[in-house]
Amino acid sequence: MAKRIRLDKSIVTASDRLAADLARRYDAAGVLVLNLMSSPGAGKTTLLEQTARALGSRFRMACIEGDLATDHDARRIAEAGMPCQLINTGGGCHLNAAQVGRALDAYRLDDLDILFIENVGNLVCPAAFDLGEHRRVVVSSTPEGDDKPAKYPVAFRLADCVVLNKIDLVRATDFSLEAFRGYVAGIKADLPILELSCKTGDGLAGWLEWVAAARAALGRRPAPAEE
Amino acid sequence: MHELSLAHAIWTQVETEMGRLGGRLLGLDVVVGAFSGADAESLEFALGLMAGRSDWPGARVHLRTEPLAMACRGCGAEFEVAGTVLACPSCGSMDADPVRGTEVRLESLEVETDGGKTDTSG
Repeated sequence: MAKRIRLDKSIVTASDRLAADLARRYDAAGVLVLNLMSSPGAGKTTLLEQTARALGSRFRMACIEGDLATDHDARRIAEAGMPCQLINTGGGCHLNAAQVGRALDAYRLDDLDILFIENVGNLVCPAAFDLGEHRRVVVSSTPEGDDKPAKYPVAFRLADCVVLNKIDLVRATDFSLEAFRGYVAGIKADLPILELSCKTGDGLAGWLEWVAAARAALGRRPAPAEE
Repeated sequence: MHELSLAHAIWTQVETEMGRLGGRLLGLDVVVGAFSGADAESLEFALGLMAGRSDWPGARVHLRTEPLAMACRGCGAEFEVAGTVLACPSCGSMDADPVRGTEVRLESLEVETDGGKTDTSG
């Protein structure tokens, strides 16, 4: 006789389990981990360069950089003063937990306050791959258009913070701040939007404060400058 | 984009359940949330491959997509989301939490067992 067995089991993939392992590693070391995702060219690397320069004396920071090819971005971040481990994914469109786990071995996590993961430029696949991070940051930029949140709702829904970069180009690009804010609010009402320009430095203080607050919220050890 | 790993995880779960239940697998029902990040068509294809190579090559794979459903923090109403605006239709609030449609679930198995042994399995 045939019988229907009701299970209703959420599917946990091997990747989800690896991400949970990573989260435990971060927490054991007390390091804040931020996963940055965006479409290509939104300004993740420039944001990290600015962050390295502005917060370098306050926090011990490092980066894991995901790129299909070249070490251009990793070199830029390292030159700005933030140690950077490069993962070249070849054809891979996102970073996965196994790759991040291997890259982490290069660091003594106990000696870090904040670890940034710069994901591969792509707003589709990275959203589906948990890297065990504490917070997700989606970087968007004005030349991409004001409807990015509507086109990539999953990435925005899962974000903890939206950085809107290249705010200095608003007038040149017909970008509507009102429309952008409306789309974001429609997807996640309490999602903070940090409007800034990595080029002019306008609004950058808001981002630096957000990072510092995220670090403070994690608690545990004080930054070395305060010791 | 990670449908193969999802299919693998689903199939591992199926095998675990079948080990417990015994009998022959006739079919499986999977629910794919609209906000799960998984593509139902690719997942169905990958699951078809898994089934074909399993001990139950004739097993039917059935996928159902589930829309995103939210619970309003303002008025408590539950509503399904079509499109990209997640405002509550009852009170207009945009402050809501997802309650369904964000995950992939193995909903049920259809199993053929021999006679009375199945009556206790719930």
